[in-house]
Amino acid sequence: MTDNTQTLNFKVQAQGLDFFYGDFRALKSINLDVREHQVTALIGPSGCGKSTLLRVFNRIYEIYPGQRATGSVLLDGSNVLAPGYSLNALRSKVGMVFQKPVPFPMSIFQNIAYGISHFEKLNTADLAVRVEQALRQAALWDEVKDKLKQSANSLSGGQQQRLCIARAIALQPEVLLFDEPTSALDPIATSKIEQLIAELRRDFTILIVTHNMQQAARCSDYTAFMYLGDLIEFGKTDKIFTKPNNKQTEDYITGRFG
Amino acid sequence: MNINHGLIQRRQIVNNLAIALSAVATVIGLFFLFWILYTTLSRGIEAMSWNLFTMNTPPAGATEGGIANALVGSLMMCGLALLVGAPCGIAAGIYLAEYAKLGKAGGIIRFVNDILLSAPSIVLGLFAFSLVTALGGSFSGWAGAFALMMIALPVIVRTTDEMMRLQPKQLREASLSLGIPLWKVNTQILLRAALPGVTTGVLLALARISGETAPLLFTALGNSFFSLNMSEAMESVPTSIAKLAMNPDEFWNKLAWAAAFLMTSFVLLISVLARIILRTNKAAND
Repeated sequence: MTDNTQTLNFKVQAQGLDFFYGDFRALKSINLDVREHQVTALIGPSGCGKSTLLRVFNRIYEIYPGQRATGSVLLDGSNVLAPGYSLNALRSKVGMVFQKPVPFPMSIFQNIAYGISHFEKLNTADLAVRVEQALRQAALWDEVKDKLKQSANSLSGGQQQRLCIARAIALQPEVLLFDEPTSALDPIATSKIEQLIAELRRDFTILIVTHNMQQAARCSDYTAFMYLGDLIEFGKTDKIFTKPNNKQTEDYITGRFG
Repeated sequence: MNINHGLIQRRQIVNNLAIALSAVATVIGLFFLFWILYTTLSRGIEAMSWNLFTMNTPPAGATEGGIANALVGSLMMCGLALLVGAPCGIAAGIYLAEYAKLGKAGGIIRFVNDILLSAPSIVLGLFAFSLVTALGGSFSGWAGAFALMMIALPVIVRTTDEMMRLQPKQLREASLSLGIPLWKVNTQILLRAALPGVTTGVLLALARISGETAPLLFTALGNSFFSLNMSEAMESVPTSIAKLAMNPDEFWNKLAWAAAFLMTSFVLLISVLARIILRTNKAAND
């Protein structure tokens, strides 16, 4: 095990984590230490459990009966899977961005303000400041500042995705989970999101699931390779992509399977 | 490459045949619609005047009159039916789509709702009648509105349920992942996203009940006089048409045709409106 000084560095830790869809065991004793203010990429072929793992970190899987996780996931040292852990607190600390941009059916401004108003009672001026802050942080402000009252559906796909990122960071979370955030976007929108992730790293701890190996290599500090519910290899991204220890990792990265 | 010209030719013939048959089918459908509109209009044209909206059912033998009493009665009963039926139906639809969708109860409720959806309206009218008389009541606007509500309810439940389930799973997950509680997600985000579809459902329910005659025969009965009292027998457009059309009086018959034209146009208008709402929303989302 790690000593104390290193534990402080770990923002999220999965320990002996198992996950079940009914009787199917989708994650097998996962141990993963995610470092603070780093980008950790989860890669692996379809069905390997990488999205499942991500969905455990904010317990979003709980809305589906028959799905359950055992083991522990520590956020700053406390187990978020413990019955006493407040779901509300967890979701305000761990934000999530999905594959498909899904703006709320309201104005651009309201999309951001809605989540904030649920957690904090702010006056109109303060709320406007917070919305602007979030939109700036998501590199969207300049494109939308003149049309905040328009429907969020009028934005392009890439803009909608940045709006979803702004919506998540408006709650000032500590961890951001990205579930294949660019797989529905064109290359230009993708590169904008990747730049954004590189900047967000200063303020947040980031986990990203991606099917795109170049994306993992480009924008992550650490990479975890998963296969059939096992965490096969985890380490610095440079190392994983240049000198993987494991034969399976090497085969996947060089495109021999998956 | 060896191209089989015979095969291509055959496919083209079959294709043209299919297009021609579809066109004929469309024309037949539209033909009857326009025929109905034309007949009702041409036969009722003499009774078509402002009097239709301002005067009450005339006595037999009169040469002028209208269906104001029926229009107001229909408006009140349909309005009340929707006022109660729409919130109930929408709430039940949300429950089905978001809370009971996976369980056994959800499946059973959905099945029962579908039976109610296709139940003959006269049966619902009889049920409302026996319920009202059992409670010591008599023919009244309340009973009519109640019967109409029972017809509107399953339509609204069904459309709300379907429209809510059409919303992307990720919209639900994204809302919940912000820490917003499920009831708020359902009522403030998912319902809002589904609102155009739900509104369409309510409008279609209105179109359906505004033309229902059978359930009103036993409940609201009909009333030749103008009445705003829901506790008394009340006239409605469909029952009025039945009464006016079955009488040999010539002017009454013309009134019946005019009322029929009015009602058909209203249903047509509501259906077109429902389409427009759905379409504009779809365009905004694309």
